[in-house]
Amino acid sequence: MYKFLVACRAGVGSSLILKIKMIQVIEENQLPITIEHTNLDGVAGFDGDVIFTLSDVAEELKAEYPNRYIVGVQNIVDKVQLLKDMQDFLNTRQVD
Amino acid sequence: MGYKTIEADAIQFQIEADDWEEAIRKTAMPLVKQQKVLPEYVEEMIRVVKTEGPYFVIMKHVAMPHAKAECGALETAVSLATLRNPVYFGHKNDPVKYIICLSSVNGEEHLQNISRIADLLGKEDFFQVLDTTSNKDVVCKFFNQ
Repeated sequence: MYKFLVACRAGVGSSLILKIKMIQVIEENQLPITIEHTNLDGVAGFDGDVIFTLSDVAEELKAEYPNRYIVGVQNIVDKVQLLKDMQDFLNTRQVD
Repeated sequence: MGYKTIEADAIQFQIEADDWEEAIRKTAMPLVKQQKVLPEYVEEMIRVVKTEGPYFVIMKHVAMPHAKAECGALETAVSLATLRNPVYFGHKNDPVKYIICLSSVNGEEHLQNISRIADLLGKEDFFQVLDTTSNKDVVCKFFNQ
């Protein structure tokens, strides 16, 4: 199981919708991913694999945490793109 | 069931706004009038854009302004407006035609609101209805069913 974090600034709006959509994608595709959710204050203490956030917040986080795997989402209800973003990460971890 | 995410008088169609700031103020006006949020909550939503960027433009044409509860939220509530002329936030998802303001003080109600909105934002017919109807009850039904 891989651990993903969904984060946004306040942690009460955009990222909650993103979390709902990501959980739907994970369940529909049976991906080995669990989701946690936080506002930006929780990012520093996150010990999992990937951080999902909104596209412009992602730019900021990438600058602050250059060694982390960070995904910026432009359309939070685009499940096709969300699936692709998740699979892109999983592909980096599956060595044949 | 039976819980209402949005009230008819929190919905406005084809409002006129010169810029994103006026668009947020007008969309949030019913929440202020109904004492769901304090006026400073509206100012906080605007301040967030100015200092931290328009991150809540969450998909093409849709902005979902909100702020932290401690900034003047009084009740958990949602308001919605469509714009006669789209506004620009300086975001990749511009131009914005639909604005949904959120206020959250009750986690459980808010989660219900959010999951309904998450559902609606994925439905094309929801936006078609927003573009064509002038009946607030029709829009309410989408949210409250």
